Amino acid sequence: MAIVSIRGLTKKFTDAAAVDDLHLEIADGEFVSLLGPSGCGKTTTLRLIAGFLQPDAGEICVGGGVISSPSHLVPPERRNMSMIFQSYAVWPHMTVAQNVAYGLKFKKLTKQQIDAKVTKLLGVVHLSELKDRYSSELSGGQQQRVALARALVVEPQILLMDEPLSNLDANLREEMRFEIRRLHEEFAITTVYVTHDQAEAMATSDRIAVLDRGQIVQVGRPAEIFDHPKTRFVAEFVGKANILCGRLDGASRMRIAERLEIGVMPNPDLASTTGEAAICLRPHNIVLTAVQSEAETLARQDYNVFSGVVQRRIYFGESADYTIDLAPHPFTLRVVGSPSKLYDKGQRIFALARPEHCVVVSNH
Amino acid sequence: MKLKFCLFILAICFVSIPLARAQDPQLVQAARKEGKVVWHTSLAIPSSTAISHYFQNKYKGIEVEVHRNGSQRVLQRFMQEATAGLKNADIVHTSDAGHFELLKDKGMLLKFTPQGVAAFPDGFKDKAGFYYGMRATLSVMAHNPKIVAEKDAPQTWKDLLNPKWSGKMVTAHPGYSGIIMTHVLTLVNVYGWDYFRDLAKNKLHIAQSANDPAGVVASGERPVGVNGAEYFYYKTLKQGNPIKIIYPKEGVPLVVSPVAIAKDAPHPNAAKLFTEFIFSKESQQLLADKEGLYTGHPEVTYPADKPKLKDLKLLAADADELEKRNAEIKKRFVEFFGA
Amino acid sequence: MPVSQTDTLGRLGQTGWAALRFKDPTFPVWIGAALLLVFLMLFPLGAIFRASLWGDTGLTFSRYLEVFTNEQSLTAIWNTLIISISVGVLAVIIGALLAWLVTRTDLPWKKSIRALVMASFVTPPFLGAFAWTLLAGPNAGALNKLYRAVTGSEEAIFNIFTMPGLIFVMTLYSFPFVFSMIANVCELISSDLEDAAEILGANKWRTAWTVTLPLALPALIGGFILAFLHSLSLFGAPAILGLPAGLHTITTQIWTLFQYPPRLDMAAAFSVPLLLATMVLIVAQKKILGRKGYSTVGGKGGQKRLIRLGWGRVPVLLFVLGILSLSVFLPYWILLKAALSKAWALPLTWDNFTLHNLSFTFFEYGDTQLAIYNTFKLGLITATVGTLLATLIAYITNRNLFRGARYLSFFALAPLVIPGIVLAVGLFIAYTRPPLVLYGTIWILFVAFLTKEMPIGFSQAESTFKSIHPELEDASRIIGANRLTTLKDITAPLARSGLIAAWSFIFIGVIRELSAAILLFAPQSKVVSVVIFDLKEEGQIGVIAVLGILLLLVSFAVIITVQRLAGRDVVATRE
Repeated sequence: MAIVSIRGLTKKFTDAAAVDDLHLEIADGEFVSLLGPSGCGKTTTLRLIAGFLQPDAGEICVGGGVISSPSHLVPPERRNMSMIFQSYAVWPHMTVAQNVAYGLKFKKLTKQQIDAKVTKLLGVVHLSELKDRYSSELSGGQQQRVALARALVVEPQILLMDEPLSNLDANLREEMRFEIRRLHEEFAITTVYVTHDQAEAMATSDRIAVLDRGQIVQVGRPAEIFDHPKTRFVAEFVGKANILCGRLDGASRMRIAERLEIGVMPNPDLASTTGEAAICLRPHNIVLTAVQSEAETLARQDYNVFSGVVQRRIYFGESADYTIDLAPHPFTLRVVGSPSKLYDKGQRIFALARPEHCVVVSNH
Repeated sequence: MKLKFCLFILAICFVSIPLARAQDPQLVQAARKEGKVVWHTSLAIPSSTAISHYFQNKYKGIEVEVHRNGSQRVLQRFMQEATAGLKNADIVHTSDAGHFELLKDKGMLLKFTPQGVAAFPDGFKDKAGFYYGMRATLSVMAHNPKIVAEKDAPQTWKDLLNPKWSGKMVTAHPGYSGIIMTHVLTLVNVYGWDYFRDLAKNKLHIAQSANDPAGVVASGERPVGVNGAEYFYYKTLKQGNPIKIIYPKEGVPLVVSPVAIAKDAPHPNAAKLFTEFIFSKESQQLLADKEGLYTGHPEVTYPADKPKLKDLKLLAADADELEKRNAEIKKRFVEFFGA
Repeated sequence: MPVSQTDTLGRLGQTGWAALRFKDPTFPVWIGAALLLVFLMLFPLGAIFRASLWGDTGLTFSRYLEVFTNEQSLTAIWNTLIISISVGVLAVIIGALLAWLVTRTDLPWKKSIRALVMASFVTPPFLGAFAWTLLAGPNAGALNKLYRAVTGSEEAIFNIFTMPGLIFVMTLYSFPFVFSMIANVCELISSDLEDAAEILGANKWRTAWTVTLPLALPALIGGFILAFLHSLSLFGAPAILGLPAGLHTITTQIWTLFQYPPRLDMAAAFSVPLLLATMVLIVAQKKILGRKGYSTVGGKGGQKRLIRLGWGRVPVLLFVLGILSLSVFLPYWILLKAALSKAWALPLTWDNFTLHNLSFTFFEYGDTQLAIYNTFKLGLITATVGTLLATLIAYITNRNLFRGARYLSFFALAPLVIPGIVLAVGLFIAYTRPPLVLYGTIWILFVAFLTKEMPIGFSQAESTFKSIHPELEDASRIIGANRLTTLKDITAPLARSGLIAAWSFIFIGVIRELSAAILLFAPQSKVVSVVIFDLKEEGQIGVIAVLGILLLLVSFAVIITVQRLAGRDVVATRE
């Protein structure tokens, strides 16, 4: 049974809808990310869930009871939720221990019980030695861990996180992603996580909801989103993508240029199997070879073949990033290749991809 | 012989008792119960403070709460409180007799005659018995002898119109002071408004209180005062300051300052006791000795260096006329002097 | 998850008005504060309009007609205009010049100069005016005596009892406002802009003239308006310096109308144009300066380098100190002298020395003890209640607690538009008759001071809240604390230093307020400023000096204490 149910959620600021008829069901203990570019409505959605904003239409239910609707609103302090913020929001006039203990004041516990819980959580986030420090003496990462401890110690039924890692530097961000996932597995609290960073969403989430302009465009497990994006937007937002446009010719074939037809992975959501469409092809799903016979062998195995010339090569150490010009066809392909076999600029080359990796997406 | 002597002693006792003017012990007791008397007065701060201390020493347990301001302001405050329904004031005392006609007509005064005032001159008594003159003074001219030599000093009211005094004179204001209100009225009755129109051409410094010119003249800020309370000039002189008072021969305005009890006084007995006190010979003598004032009490003696009232030509103002022309005087004064 | 979660949530989620109250039980507090504020502002204004327009026969404009045709009142209006415009211009010149020198050059002793400007700000203008009568009365004034002794001349070089004299003194105590405003702006101007000019060949004066000045121009205009409005509403200085010379201003004219028999309707009719004029100017000022109250000039700041004055350092410093001596050193010195002298006009020799003024003031003069008690009682109560109210209102507007909450800031700042004496007229009319008779008690003064000081309390509270990230409060709310608890546990401690500053500004503003107190006091509710004014009319110089010094000492003590408590320089960041 879903613990959080969002139906038809709409919120307008002046005339523009920040959140527009949004639907989402979140299961008990699930970690769901709201992923999207800035302005897509993800933070607004989160704040609606928290109760800081009231919807103009639609409703939010938790455990079957309506907590937000246009006609009533349970205030944030009564929702049994916790939240973590981009700015950490660690209270500067309290020590680390006092910050963590604050929420327990409202739970009618004895002082000893509070102290015990605080000590335990500080141990969990590895901040025990710093319990008497103030936030001005802590680094960004430490402050975020204080925020985590503070949020978890009250045993909320739902944990909300609003871009908690955006202010950290890259290395720390990576480390913290794993930490967040680890804590989630340990405490199993239903979590809603807002981010614009696709790698972060992938690393932490059970499911990802991709938002664009106030609406959810696709929800699914990370692999699903990545391998089977439904729209061009999702395809391009979640990872690098080659988007090729053309005409569908039946469910599994598409003509993308004069005299170039390829096999594609069909998209069941698409209304018709003919007409304009696009495909998404991930750069790392493309095989490169300069040898014609290899290309022909793969072609017999149903690979789609593109032939062209290396236009540009950027060497990254772990990989090489190629741009292949497919003249006379009017497009290029981005390819991520192995660093051990490098192809030079100007070299003739074959780029091959399986039809399953050419996913049909709706074109917007 | 012994009998005659005893009779003589007895006679003296009988005579002394009324002469001693002992206060009714019941009144004193009732006043003590009330604990305080609220006195709104225009008498100068040092003088009013002294009187209140003297009373408090004599009647321990009764506090005198003094609220001192210029005569016109005293009336303003009293009327404001009355309009707002506040009954705070016990005794009203200003130097503008017109105020008391006004208050009497409005029924805001208590009819009370303190002991001994029957002997006072008519100018100190209200025929209806609502108010009596506590003190009197004159409005006089003064100059600073260190700056203006006696032979050059103005001697008459008309002398003040001389352009040579331009920028060198100070006046007090009838909009603030009852003494000056009387001063202006009496001079207007003698010389007309043109006098003040011409006087204003000499660019006088405008003070407010009738006591202020004394300080201005003594400090040398303006060496000539065209009016002012004689008692305050006198006191300032006695303190060693350079003041020479001039009593113009054409006439010196006499200002009698009445005192009355408010009809709605919150401490009526204390008010009566205080009124009895200020009309007692000892208190009136105090006013004459220490404060340079004249009084209506026939038995009070005055310092040798003060002129006797009967030696001066006095200009008196009628209380009714003061009341009726109050607004006119303020208006025209402002018209000529600007503020 | 509790079994009855659904039930609980169901009950929690009621609809309609019940929900309105229940969904946020702290709601009544906010509504209450908002309503109180609106009532405070509207009631006296309503009373003024009503009194000026309503006669025995209904609606009438006769009073307005009288105001604008009567020669005396026209003269008063004319005087006021001349004085206020002059003060505005001079205050801007001095204030801007000093602000530029302090923020953009390498002038020495900056901290002291700022402190002296603060001292000028804290000195009540009527006290400054009084001190200047002792310094520059044409005959007895100390400066004139000095001049005569030095030059042997018969004449006086200064006569303070003139319109120029009045303008001079009012400027001395208006320029600190302009200084603050311009200093804030100058701090924001990046040196890059000036560097660009210099590279192109301009020397430092030309740069100042062609680059810095135009950038600061909106703030200069804003400063002019501020100084203009401030001088428009002053009562004490014009009464002390103008009346002896026969000069009336609008404020002294209104005061005169209260003398017996009072013409409240005329006083109200006089007040309304004053009110409208200030409203127009405030709106103009806001438009010129934009919402922040000062123009944002390339707000990133960039590097800020100081202009070197070179050999000009010492002369300029002397010049600046010279100006500050006019507003601080000379007046304070003469007050001290007058407090300790038998005869203030004579030199302070051993003969002339006395402590009698002190003993008379504190122990003999009946009014003093009561006035001191009233003043500090009012100061404490007004500052505390005012800070509380301002905090609640600033919180409401800053966090936009309900629809239209932003408009509350208009009401909180509205009293800026109302000169003190006009407010007093309104309060007098409103509260001297049933149902609510506050006249005669200190509570009418309390209402007047609370209203008058609300803008400064509010703007200080507002800028404090702006500096507290809203997420700090959200973090508290989501974890279980309601709005009020959050305000108490999180916001208030973080706002502490800002709110202490607000408290102190209100306190100091109250203890030196004259223009409203002069109309509203009753014998039992006298305050020190009124006592000083009364004594001036009596010429009791020594006592005035003692009381004036007392006010200054208390004000400085409060500021120093607050700086210690708040731990920062509240002076510098005052807007």
